[in-house]
Amino acid sequence: MNLMSQHSSFVDPSNPRGNKVSAFLRTYYIYFVLVLVVTVLSVANLDRFDLFERGNFLNQRNIIHILRISAPLLTLAGAFTLLMVSGYIDLSVGSTMSLSAVVYALLAINGVPFFAAFAITLVVGFGLGAFNGFLVVRLKITPVIATLITLSLYKGIALLLVQDGVSAIKSGGGLKMPEWFNFYGREGVLLGLSSAFWVAVVVTLALVIVQNRSLLGKYAAATGGNPMAAKLSGINTKKTIFSLYAVVGVAAALAGIARSSFMSLGDPLSGDGMELSAILVVLLGGTAFSGGEGRVLRSFIGALIIMALTVGMLTLVPAYYQTLVIGTTLLAAAASNHLVSRKESAQ
Amino acid sequence: MRGSKKTGGALIQNRRMSDEVYITLLVASVAVGLFLIASLLVPNFFQWLNLLNLVTNNWAVISLGVGVTFLLVSGNFDLSVGGVVALSGVLSVWFAQSTGGANALSSGLGLPYWLAVLSAITGALAIGGLNALFVVRFRIPSIIVTLGTMMVARGIAQVITQGSQRNTNLPVEFGVLGNLTAFGTSVKLPVVLMGVLLVVAIFIERKMVFGRLTYWIGANPVAATLSGIDKARHVTFLYLFSSVIAGIVGILLSSEFKSGYSNRGTLMEFDALVIALLGGVAIAGGFGSVVGMFFGALILAVVTSAATGMTLSPDWQYILKAVAVFLAILAQTWALARRNR
Repeated sequence: MNLMSQHSSFVDPSNPRGNKVSAFLRTYYIYFVLVLVVTVLSVANLDRFDLFERGNFLNQRNIIHILRISAPLLTLAGAFTLLMVSGYIDLSVGSTMSLSAVVYALLAINGVPFFAAFAITLVVGFGLGAFNGFLVVRLKITPVIATLITLSLYKGIALLLVQDGVSAIKSGGGLKMPEWFNFYGREGVLLGLSSAFWVAVVVTLALVIVQNRSLLGKYAAATGGNPMAAKLSGINTKKTIFSLYAVVGVAAALAGIARSSFMSLGDPLSGDGMELSAILVVLLGGTAFSGGEGRVLRSFIGALIIMALTVGMLTLVPAYYQTLVIGTTLLAAAASNHLVSRKESAQ
Repeated sequence: MRGSKKTGGALIQNRRMSDEVYITLLVASVAVGLFLIASLLVPNFFQWLNLLNLVTNNWAVISLGVGVTFLLVSGNFDLSVGGVVALSGVLSVWFAQSTGGANALSSGLGLPYWLAVLSAITGALAIGGLNALFVVRFRIPSIIVTLGTMMVARGIAQVITQGSQRNTNLPVEFGVLGNLTAFGTSVKLPVVLMGVLLVVAIFIERKMVFGRLTYWIGANPVAATLSGIDKARHVTFLYLFSSVIAGIVGILLSSEFKSGYSNRGTLMEFDALVIALLGGVAIAGGFGSVVGMFFGALILAVVTSAATGMTLSPDWQYILKAVAVFLAILAQTWALARRNR
């Protein structure tokens, strides 16, 4: 509803039909891309798909596996979208995720029960996000630099928390990971899918509601669209940005918990490169990098596309093609966003 | 008219040094101060040889910093340099390897070394051109573009080396450039080239129209366009310049180690950015200098090597870098605000 009204302002009255089609395409193209990617992968791999089970890309075990390992990115995509819609960026999400994973594993291995460890880790994530917000809003450091600083800082802390000579927090040296540790990220609870996946779905739905129905969502779009106008019309842009950084921090902590539970490890490098994936899925979802426009749900679909691509690709080409394909997709997504927005401004 | 302009300039110079000189002096004195503090804390730190090593060990990052600084001054990021270092190094190896090796990783194209080097630089230029195309023509934020091209460059390097490295079947002359020592001292050729690059860059920045235009474009892009400066061409040149430097660094590194390694130069783009920021280059553009960047590199080198000297675990490096950049940015903002109050 909201989307349609947004696009209707571009409709040229002399050609209502053609514009309806293009508006429809612009809104729903991401679903077509997803269907296309899945179709191509299903047709292409056939018998080389021996990663999990010989057979088709579209078999149940494979789908469940992909959705399970997608949980961290899916959790992060929505929050990251809201932040980019407001015209800001967080390059520290990967490090926030790593640090949360390490904290969560440390708590668990030292005998803290599940719910307490979970809650404490979320609070830590909130704190890390809020610190980003503090640097950007209070100290007025450029978002890119502020979050580059915390990227390095959080990663350093995560590495320091893991003692020398060990690569990650794991069973050993008298301590043992509790039984429940990998339940959250691994065991199917509903339709064979893990709790982490369903949490990602719930988080995304909540953020869709936030974006469409709450003041925070409206303020985020207004701040990104025109910061000056937003400020002049009485929006507390500082508070908005601060809250969004905190939300991203919490989402990154959830992602860290999911990753750490899936791997049964507290790996201080587990979030490396996550900021790139997050930027990529947000761009794939058609979010304007200058801010002001973007949809949480479309980024969620974008994340599904990327995960299907990365897993599916392993069946077609060797693993060392991955960086090249991801980089090319990033540039292609950026270029296509540019072409769309240029067309809109021409109309 | 010419005379009045001259006296006006002289007047300003007499009264007050520019903000830029002020910040550069500040950075330089911080670098010297940190070196002295480190000398007190770390045994055997205060030695000429150590001071020399601080520079020579960081020749690659300092060289990359030159291109990155120019781009930052013009208001653009270049995070692709680390990827380009890997790409050009791997390309130079692949082109120079003789044909018909035992397996895929030991047989290359068998070009003569000079041609292999030229082709590798062409490959680096292609990435620079891609940066320029996306940033200048498509107007996509440079941080996103150069993160993408960083992955593309490194991705190509990984495909060529199949995710590992190529180091066999190389001609003898391959290892010469990176290991050549100059004038009978232990200083290697890459360090000398870095020195030459610094001098040329400072000359361009201070004395040539091209350098001054870079500042105008960064300080006020709209005014620059309105006053007839071809911004697109200028920024394109800068991206090509930066990627050629990165290409040469990559070739020299792979010659030094006699191997093309697809993960070489990882995080170098961040280090180049960090030393520029430490050196007082403003992220918003229009402010900063190559000399400042050089002293920024010294600060980082002193901090990290002192940390190693005090036997802190290498994990501390990330935290130290973060704190150093944080303090540098706060100090510079504070100093400028206070001065121009």
